[in-house]
Amino acid sequence: MHTPNVLGRWLRPLALAGVLSATACDSILEVNDPDIITTATSTAAALALRNGVVLRLAQSMSGGGDNPDGMFPFSGLLADEWQSGDSFEQRNSTDQRVIATTNSFVANLFRRVHRVRIEGASAIASLRQYAPTPTSNIGLMFALAGFAENQLGENFCNGIPFSEIDNGAIIFGPGISNDSTFGRAIAHADSARAWIGGTDGPRITSLAAIIKGRALLNRNKPADAAAAVAAVPTAFAYQITHSINTSDNATWLQNISLKRYTVGNSEGTNGLNFRGANDPRIPAGPTSGGVSFDGVAPYLSQGIWVNRTDPVNMATGIEARLIEAEAALRADNIATFLAKLNEARATKTGLAPLTDPGTADERVNLLFRERAFWMFGTGHRHGDLRRLIRQYNRSANSVFPTGNWFKGGPYGSDINFPIPFEETNNPNFTTCTDRNA
Amino acid sequence: MTIRVLRGLAVLTAVLCLAPAAWAQSGATVTGRVTDVASKAPLVGARVAVIGTSLVTATNADGRYRLVGVPAGAQTVRAYLIGYRAGSRAMSATAGGTETLDFEMSIAAFSLDEFVVTATGEESKRSVGNAVSTVDVSPLVATTPIANMSDLLVGKAPGVVVLPGSITGAGGRVRIRGNSSLSLSNNPIYVVDGIRVASDVNSSSIGIGGSSPSRVNDLNPEDIEAIDIVRGPSAATLYGTDAANGVIVIRTKRGKAGRTVWNAYTEQGTITDRNKYPTAYRGWRNTSTASNTTQCLLNQVVTGICAQDSVSSYNLWEDPESSPLGTGSRNQTGLQASGGTDNVRFFVAGEFEQETGVYKLPAAFANRIYAGRNTTELPSELDRPNALRRVNFRANVNATLNEKMDVAVSTGFVTSRLRLPQTDNNAVGVGSNAFGGPGFKNYTFTPGGAPARNNLGWRASTPDEIFAFTNQQDINRSITSGTFNYRPNSWLTGRAVGGLDFIARQDTELCRRDECAYLATIRTGYKAHNRTNFFNYTGDVSMAATYTLPKAIGAKSTIGVQYGKDNNTRNLSYGENLVPGSTIVSAGSIQTAGEATITSVTLGYFAEQQLSWKDRVYLTGAIRSDRNSAFGNQFARVYYPKVSLSYVLSDEPFFPKGFISSLRLRGGFGATGRQPGGNDAIPIFSPSTVSYDNVDSPGLVLSALGNANLKPERSQELEAGFDASFANSTINLEVTGYSKRSKDALINRTIPGSVGGPAARFENIGEVRNRGIEASLNVVAVNAKSVGWDFTISGSYNKNKIVSLGGTPPNRGTTTSDIEGYPIQAWWMRTYTFQDKNGDGLITGDTASAVRELFVTDTAVYIGPSLPAAELTFYNTFEFFGRKLRIQTLLDSKLGGYQLNGTERIRCDNRLNCRGDVDPKAPLWEQARAIAVRVHPARTQAGFAEKTNMLRFRELSLTYTLPTKLSRVFGSTRSTFTVAGRNLGIITGYSGIDPEGGYFGTNVGVQSDFQTQPPPTYFTFRLNVAF
Repeated sequence: MHTPNVLGRWLRPLALAGVLSATACDSILEVNDPDIITTATSTAAALALRNGVVLRLAQSMSGGGDNPDGMFPFSGLLADEWQSGDSFEQRNSTDQRVIATTNSFVANLFRRVHRVRIEGASAIASLRQYAPTPTSNIGLMFALAGFAENQLGENFCNGIPFSEIDNGAIIFGPGISNDSTFGRAIAHADSARAWIGGTDGPRITSLAAIIKGRALLNRNKPADAAAAVAAVPTAFAYQITHSINTSDNATWLQNISLKRYTVGNSEGTNGLNFRGANDPRIPAGPTSGGVSFDGVAPYLSQGIWVNRTDPVNMATGIEARLIEAEAALRADNIATFLAKLNEARATKTGLAPLTDPGTADERVNLLFRERAFWMFGTGHRHGDLRRLIRQYNRSANSVFPTGNWFKGGPYGSDINFPIPFEETNNPNFTTCTDRNA
Repeated sequence: MTIRVLRGLAVLTAVLCLAPAAWAQSGATVTGRVTDVASKAPLVGARVAVIGTSLVTATNADGRYRLVGVPAGAQTVRAYLIGYRAGSRAMSATAGGTETLDFEMSIAAFSLDEFVVTATGEESKRSVGNAVSTVDVSPLVATTPIANMSDLLVGKAPGVVVLPGSITGAGGRVRIRGNSSLSLSNNPIYVVDGIRVASDVNSSSIGIGGSSPSRVNDLNPEDIEAIDIVRGPSAATLYGTDAANGVIVIRTKRGKAGRTVWNAYTEQGTITDRNKYPTAYRGWRNTSTASNTTQCLLNQVVTGICAQDSVSSYNLWEDPESSPLGTGSRNQTGLQASGGTDNVRFFVAGEFEQETGVYKLPAAFANRIYAGRNTTELPSELDRPNALRRVNFRANVNATLNEKMDVAVSTGFVTSRLRLPQTDNNAVGVGSNAFGGPGFKNYTFTPGGAPARNNLGWRASTPDEIFAFTNQQDINRSITSGTFNYRPNSWLTGRAVGGLDFIARQDTELCRRDECAYLATIRTGYKAHNRTNFFNYTGDVSMAATYTLPKAIGAKSTIGVQYGKDNNTRNLSYGENLVPGSTIVSAGSIQTAGEATITSVTLGYFAEQQLSWKDRVYLTGAIRSDRNSAFGNQFARVYYPKVSLSYVLSDEPFFPKGFISSLRLRGGFGATGRQPGGNDAIPIFSPSTVSYDNVDSPGLVLSALGNANLKPERSQELEAGFDASFANSTINLEVTGYSKRSKDALINRTIPGSVGGPAARFENIGEVRNRGIEASLNVVAVNAKSVGWDFTISGSYNKNKIVSLGGTPPNRGTTTSDIEGYPIQAWWMRTYTFQDKNGDGLITGDTASAVRELFVTDTAVYIGPSLPAAELTFYNTFEFFGRKLRIQTLLDSKLGGYQLNGTERIRCDNRLNCRGDVDPKAPLWEQARAIAVRVHPARTQAGFAEKTNMLRFRELSLTYTLPTKLSRVFGSTRSTFTVAGRNLGIITGYSGIDPEGGYFGTNVGVQSDFQTQPPPTYFTFRLNVAF
């Protein structure tokens, strides 16, 4: 067998391979993907980022995108506004008040609410650089961040972590108390009130006022809260609107369309009779009766959001009057308390003026019932139940649904959402500080 | 870019063409004939090679071959053919001389001289230091009930665990040596005639609930000659980034020189569902009616809330009036032709295939269609919602241009239409509504916006509404490749392979107005119409030099460059609220559109050096380097090394000749990888429509953080084993052990919610280990003239373990988790114990009850792996009556895996119709798991995580070869007919319908038996006629 001059003859192809490697490699690996946008550096992009934050808010509160539940309906499931007519464990366990840290619906909500403030910060930076006027755009971003923070404080346990993204790098934050969370919300609301230039300024001013007032109420400062909202007209409403393309109204979807949620009606002994009261503020929906999605739960619908893009009130002048009524009640000014409640009721046909129920406890019950019916399904009720425990010395089992859950087994003891298990990826976080109200 | 590479390749080829070519005249010519030793018949297509050179040829129709340019001196010529024992003959070649060497070959189940296809070309099995399983496909498809690639692969090679899909058109799951990736695909890659082809297992843009088509099933088993299964990184190194899960190397059929041989076949069959389905129960109380939901459950009986009047049960699957099951059918007809001259050979084939699954609209619901639509005709898609129609064509040509050059062109084309039913995890699917029924037949149900009707035992939606969804996938796919081999002299070969796998996929779903289920806005009608084009390009050029070093050490050096590009583009359109009678997207009052593009490019180089000593010791070392467009910009390239050793110990002079016919020791080490997704490294904003003050406006949201340091997952493997033949090769044993580690494992690391942003991003932080052993024993037990019996027992065991999660917390889910020290996506749940303390025959888990009889652990505990740890198959072939009658059986056992019986879970948890919820005579364990999931606050599903150990009678076939005289009456040279059955029986302790019933979610491929159809039984009759 002959032995050719191997090394010599190999040099040619090897050299060619080397040439190929050197000349072709970098450019051949370039790909052009039209799907993605990697930079946002223009006036239009800044406004698009602002809009993105508005979308994040809608997705986190009243639905849309790939998350069917928003905080508004889901927190009402833990409270008494809604019952689960669903087969998803995540909803059933929330309704039953036995929420695991691995509940993916809770995790989804937690992330979505944080997105509002994180992407809001990016939008603020971009607006300042590329679209500084009208400044109310910036004010809106601050206000939405404050609203998101207030929602976190109302719904999650003590020890909520706040992380940040700085130039793509993650800065992990430690857990803080609900009270400190409300403090953040107040600070952002104040910032919002400093950026109100342009035609949208008055609206942003009122929105920020209500966010501040609500957070102050959560901090058990009703007088300060009333002062914050005093200038908000009763007719004011800031609404989350929905696009048929990306963000259906979650309550319509879950209650009217899919029937996975059924209206709470004296749930678990303590629940209010949202359906049975036949209150004009919560009219019956078009298709009540029969069973819910799970084939088990009786189906009750509401008539507030019967179309897929119906807007949802996020902050209203009615809420401002209710805050003022609560401040009056806490100041033992019963006349003003009733006057503020009735000022609100006068705006709705079919609501008779209220009279003093006579006792302190019943006045509290009346206030929170009014709040519940006025702001049904808008993310207020769960926070109110926690306030009843925290600020009015009620026991958890006297305000939250209790006894035997209607699908079997007893109600649990949860009165807030736990920080999701995913957060253990945050080196500065361990667990909820406590699960108290 | 691409042009630049092609230009380079052209230059490379030109250089090869200009290489010295005088060798042909200076060498010897060797001719001869290869025949079967028993029948003396010529063997067509046998390979004949001169050892230690690049010279190789194939025999023609007369079994003759011719090799020219054989270097002068002592040479060894070897002939080999799959299924035969190789023959070797020594000779002395003289320049310009001619030698004649004939070979008589005998049948053998195992031969070290079979060739297998490697990344560098065809190699003799003896020279490959790794375990490579070869499946001889041609005889299998002709004699056994194989409908698709999953059927073909299941039980055919140790270490290759296949879970087939259940419904017609659903893809299966293939795992080779376990799961090795935590977040990326664990599917092997597929190479057809030298080019990478698409093999997505969830290939549809419109879901039906879980089951999904697989592009692997586009490949027609009838077109395949053989499959080489490259099991792990130690063997797959040169296939580069993405080959970590193994490589399925497919060789399609080739023409054989000689007169044109026609082979016609037709297969007709039935598909029946012989599974036992669960019964629905209902506990009645005095306020119960046929239209309300008030029943009395056992946990309510225990706590005194109610008393049961009676318990009813109903199994709609067993009631012809309500059951959605009918008899499916399968037919397949094809014609193949093979022939040509010594220089040009062809293989052409065409086939028509049609399969209708078992779903059928029950007569009672068909009557509702007739009445409701005032028609007497039932659309076929409504009557039979699961069906496949497919047409395949193939044309392969091999041409020997001259004694230095040959070229092979392979073209395959498939066009298919698959209709899929709504099923699995789908609120309007068959399973959700059939398994969730109320436990009695005449159930009055009032869907929203419709009058009350009798649901005939169905939960909410009824078959007439469910089957009204028309989900369809149309495929037009061509796989075209060309291979050019050039041998400028006796020691140098060049090979260039290029090709394109192009798929045009059209996914549609139509729900006509007022015809489908009453849920959400479905009744207003919708149409989804998505078109996706897949382009998978492969370019591969290599050169190999074969030469001899001092001390008779043979050497072979190979270098090559490989280019791969995947480009997928998709347009999506959707229309909702359709005009009555319309079927198109633009008839919807609400219309949306979308667009998506994914591109990935890989460029790799490799070099391999093989040293051999006396044709019995082979040492191979190689390295491959890849760059990929998906790598982060901080990561340049990856290097994958390999080394292997093969030692044919039995060829040593000192080895005793006797009972041991041959013995080869082998071992190898190698690495390869898995690439991340195309855009995983880049921070991305995504556009989105935003309702800003009730006006739709453009918005941008942050959708990915990216990772500049992203690099491929790296898997490295050490394997060792032996191949031994005993008793004149009538007993053959292959044993292989391996240890595979995936380092830099890509974990889709969860980003804490407090960061907002995307939920996860890929980071190279994990490590996974798979260890296992594979063995295959083939025994020719009886080998008489008229009677034969041989069997193969194959087994494999795999132990999968997450070594490290890179310091990240465990990835815990409700039922499965990734936790260090345990298998990937293992079952982890809070478990429980129970005891009927008060002896009332009922279990209470109510924590408020005075008598607690169910106790749940505080934390989730490990239950078991989601993938079977072991598989054992027993393949038998009996031949009788002069070997005219062949009986083949395949028993398949899978052991050590766990499955969540999700169907029963939802029946107990939400449908409230499982026996454990309702029937006081239910076994305590059934009551306990129902209580644990529904009543106890822990709501644990642990009682439904069950072992999937099973022994399945997978295949039985009887093939009879008609006597030659009888065949000739029909003008045929050989005719066979086969009666076969698939999925004929099962022994299992699994309490669900079937442990293999399920679909496969996530990249890990955890099986979901969740309202899913189990595998049906096939009976087929097949006629093969050659002429």
